[in-house]
Amino acid sequence: MAVALAAASPLAAASVHDHIYGNHFDTITDLPANANEAARFLTQATFGPTSADIDKVMHLGYGEWIDEQMGLPATLEYNTVEAVKTAHSGSTSQAYRLNRWYWQAVYAPDQLRQRMAFALSQIFVVSDADSAIGQDNVPMASYQDMLAKDAFGYYSTVLNDVTYHPTMGKYLNAFHNVAPICSGSGVNLVCTTSPDENYAREVMQLFSVGLVLLNMDGSHKTDANGDIPTYDQSIITNTAEVFTGFTYGDAPTGIGGGPAANFYGGGSTDAGASKPMLCFGNEYFSNNNPQMKHDVNGDGEVGGVGLTVLGSNGMPSDTQIPNTVTPGTCQAEVAYELSVLASHPNVPPFISRQLIQRFVTSNPSPAYIQRVATVMDTAGKDLGDVIKAILTDTEARNPPALANGDSYGKLREPVLRLTAMWRAFNAKAPAADSFGEIKMIGGGNFQSNLGQNPLEAPTVFNFFLPDFQQPGTFADNGLYSPEFQITTASTTYTAANTYFGFTAQGYQGYTTGSPAVPPTDRPLIDLTSLTQGATSDAQVNVANMVSTINSSMMYGSMSSAMSTSLTNMLTQLKAGGTGGPAEMAWSAIYVTMLSPEYATQR
Amino acid sequence: MGISRNSRREFLRNMACVACSGGAAAMIPQLRMMGTAMASTSSLTGYKALVCIYLQGGNDSWNLVVPWDSNGSTGRFDVYAAARNGVYNAQTNNGGLGLTRPAAGNAQIVTDGNDANAGTNKYFMHPNLTNLASYFKANKLAFAVNVGTLVQPMNMNDYKLATFPKPPQLFSHADQTNLWNQGNTDGNSAHGWGGLCADDLQAQGANTKPNPQLSLCISIAGANRFEIGKVVNNPYQLSTGGLANLSAMCNQTPCGTGNNSVRDQALNELLGATYEGDFAGEYGKVFGGARALFSELKPNLGVSPYNVTTTFPTTSLGRQLQRVAEVIKLSKAKNYATRQVFFVQIGGFDLHAGMMSNNDGNGTTAPGNANDHAGLLYQLDQAVGAFWSEMGVQGLQNNVTAFTATEFSRTLQSNGAGSDHAWGGVQFALGGAVNGGKLYTKGSTTNGRGVDGAYPNLAYAKMANANPNAFSRGQLIPGLSVDQYAATFAKWMDVRPTGATGISSIFPNLANFPGGTLGMLPTS
Repeated sequence: MAVALAAASPLAAASVHDHIYGNHFDTITDLPANANEAARFLTQATFGPTSADIDKVMHLGYGEWIDEQMGLPATLEYNTVEAVKTAHSGSTSQAYRLNRWYWQAVYAPDQLRQRMAFALSQIFVVSDADSAIGQDNVPMASYQDMLAKDAFGYYSTVLNDVTYHPTMGKYLNAFHNVAPICSGSGVNLVCTTSPDENYAREVMQLFSVGLVLLNMDGSHKTDANGDIPTYDQSIITNTAEVFTGFTYGDAPTGIGGGPAANFYGGGSTDAGASKPMLCFGNEYFSNNNPQMKHDVNGDGEVGGVGLTVLGSNGMPSDTQIPNTVTPGTCQAEVAYELSVLASHPNVPPFISRQLIQRFVTSNPSPAYIQRVATVMDTAGKDLGDVIKAILTDTEARNPPALANGDSYGKLREPVLRLTAMWRAFNAKAPAADSFGEIKMIGGGNFQSNLGQNPLEAPTVFNFFLPDFQQPGTFADNGLYSPEFQITTASTTYTAANTYFGFTAQGYQGYTTGSPAVPPTDRPLIDLTSLTQGATSDAQVNVANMVSTINSSMMYGSMSSAMSTSLTNMLTQLKAGGTGGPAEMAWSAIYVTMLSPEYATQR
Repeated sequence: MGISRNSRREFLRNMACVACSGGAAAMIPQLRMMGTAMASTSSLTGYKALVCIYLQGGNDSWNLVVPWDSNGSTGRFDVYAAARNGVYNAQTNNGGLGLTRPAAGNAQIVTDGNDANAGTNKYFMHPNLTNLASYFKANKLAFAVNVGTLVQPMNMNDYKLATFPKPPQLFSHADQTNLWNQGNTDGNSAHGWGGLCADDLQAQGANTKPNPQLSLCISIAGANRFEIGKVVNNPYQLSTGGLANLSAMCNQTPCGTGNNSVRDQALNELLGATYEGDFAGEYGKVFGGARALFSELKPNLGVSPYNVTTTFPTTSLGRQLQRVAEVIKLSKAKNYATRQVFFVQIGGFDLHAGMMSNNDGNGTTAPGNANDHAGLLYQLDQAVGAFWSEMGVQGLQNNVTAFTATEFSRTLQSNGAGSDHAWGGVQFALGGAVNGGKLYTKGSTTNGRGVDGAYPNLAYAKMANANPNAFSRGQLIPGLSVDQYAATFAKWMDVRPTGATGISSIFPNLANFPGGTLGMLPTS
């Protein structure tokens, strides 16, 4: 008695932020005071400020700029990656995806959306470090695109789309996860398999509620015994039963003619391997059909008692999937489980805090977390409203004055230090090669050298943990410093050498090889904002060079000590007269990229 | 139907992750004390170095050491040969995976010191493991037999029960590699047991180097999951080429007066400045420390009088182990640390095909096809041989233990050209402290779980007297767990038995295995 359904993964209605120029003729009340403030905002909200974007923010104000950004459609990777792969006769290199990602980071107009997708990819982690998906360059591009498209939608939409994406399915083993094969019943129940628990575990621990009950300000709820766990192993085991029956979106179901049902079919094309997974449940098959792979009501027994899954009212009392849910329909049971997760009171503080850490500061005040979490809760977990709340909050817009022991702000992610430099100096991408690929990364292994690379985290725990505390000042004072987890004696060197390759060996006018030609595997930055067209060292205006570095890379925050060091350096280079204006310029950029002040965002 | 909060708390405590309550420092107050390193004396005595040699891809380890007794039909060698689809012969049996049985008196034949029975205590090692065979005979090398990932001891009946705890994603490279690096099977963890051991050793004062600090964990094989601790959160990485210079800066003294020197001065000023902000200040400290460490290491690492005198092979593993030997030499001379953990890696073991394609059995010339199993084992043997010799020159053979790890072993049964993913397999440990010349198979004890003191029965499926704990293609349920194996090394390194950073925390499932740690290393 199979029921044909349209799609296995209905998307929740997308929220809409079409407020473009909604207040255009009204007085704008949230204008930056000056270009530096605008640049600081754009450092938080984009992959790096450009003079065009600074101008725009100066005219629109923060709120309108955000609204305009949200109205822009998502720039997508899929078509490009697929085309390049086809041109390379089906090669599974992840470089195609990475080159496209960095191109989008630097050039896509929907900057805030792409930043949001990057942040979401560090919560809803998939990684090509896992051999299960390491060859899936095109499906991984579709995963990135899914996050970009959902970036300003509802949290529940993201949770749903992540759950049904085959890349996540394969990464965390929901894909081809099957109901236990059991015989007997009651005390005589014997099962020869049990569902994989990986997705059930991580969807709770990392994607929704986390390990301990939280207050809206991010602090832990406690009782006489301390922290209160959100769930335990039995919940995981039960929840694993829900995430069973998943397969490729184009696996044949045998319904309505066509090939006979085959749970292990499909996925032989990139399109098939990228579309949302199907679930082989009661929507297609009756309970005793061998193609029936979803666990009916859990516990392995047909028509058995409902499972106990996560408690949804903030206290550790659990709920059962009610029998009123269409019995055994996978889609309905998964939807119910996801709604239980999405409605858990932990979600707003758990997600809000991590987003704040990606955009503004590693140690938001409890009040800041609470303000954002409240918005998230009120707006039906509309992520567009959340990011707007994060960026317009007073704690984002009004940093405390620098004073001893200041812990406001964060270390900039190494990837963002690079993209900001490219954007600050109008990096020009090379022409697409004969395979249609625009190369950005110079063949570098950024995961190894920078400690991070999009969708390449070493584990499902991302490049760094939200709770990482650098030993020393941070740990001693109970402060968090996630990005320090990848800032080590080794990566400071390898990142610096990487940055060298995109500055000293990546500017317009640089040539290499014999015969000498410009590199074609990376964008080339324009040094003229620094050299002002000087043709010899003597013509270079050092003070102007330093102040341009300050305004275009550091939103005017450069300390006088740093200014002095750079000025002395440039003065000496100028006097030495051996390198030329280009060397003076890339030296200023390179040394700045290595500096503590540039590495920090406040 | 509420679940008790206490059981939930137990669950939370067992989670080997930091994404819990307020970070590691909140959960483990002692970690707050581990701040900056100062020159200190260590409460640990002597010097010990642990070297993890990771064989990436799943080593076909049933060909490392093979039972020798044979009567032509039912001897253990005969069972082995039948299990492996016969002895490999390029002309007549190129799908077989069995090694040729050497004649009596051959140098590769070794005697298991754990077995007094002359009828069963002879084994032979792979013909290309000539150095390792000699170390076995010198009682410096031991094998751990049928080691694999387990949650608790199990047999085939257990395996068939859906509810019986077993490791997730058996036969998956990525998942099993993670579990081997974690040293336990509790789902996903951000940390590895090597790094967690370093945390405890650091808390005991093992890091005796004044600033700039050198991590207790050193990797010549890049970022890895083995050496991620909570405080010693990253290894110091060296490449096979040694220390990498910082581009466009000074990397040696004197640096001269050119443009590199000008940039260098500016960078040093920026890194060394005092910052009001914590992030900038700490970054300056980390990078500045890295530069200072480089300056200290560069003139000395591998440079006379701290160079190594043994000639190492120029293979990747050879050069990796050379770097390890150089770091050990310099660390000892300068008293950098009393305990160090090293990681090296050799890949290519996922030999679904081409496993035996050049079983020339002769290690005196480079095997014709370096990518087959014989070729890889030759590389392994030569590199480890050079390392062991160099440790002899440095007088440190009693202070160093090297051990292998690999995500799983491989099917005894051939697929026609190689073997496929399996589970339990053989590892070895080499060191002066190793109670060598023995095979360690001690498993847990009852109900047919594990193997107790005897080499496993390699018969499977339709073979006579098939091992009930073997799957249909000769994949064995392990008798020893990774936890037991790894904890053996942790104990030797003097990781404390209990406490928030001790063995019981690093290996929370160890208590599931009554056999405990292996006798192949003393506990101190």
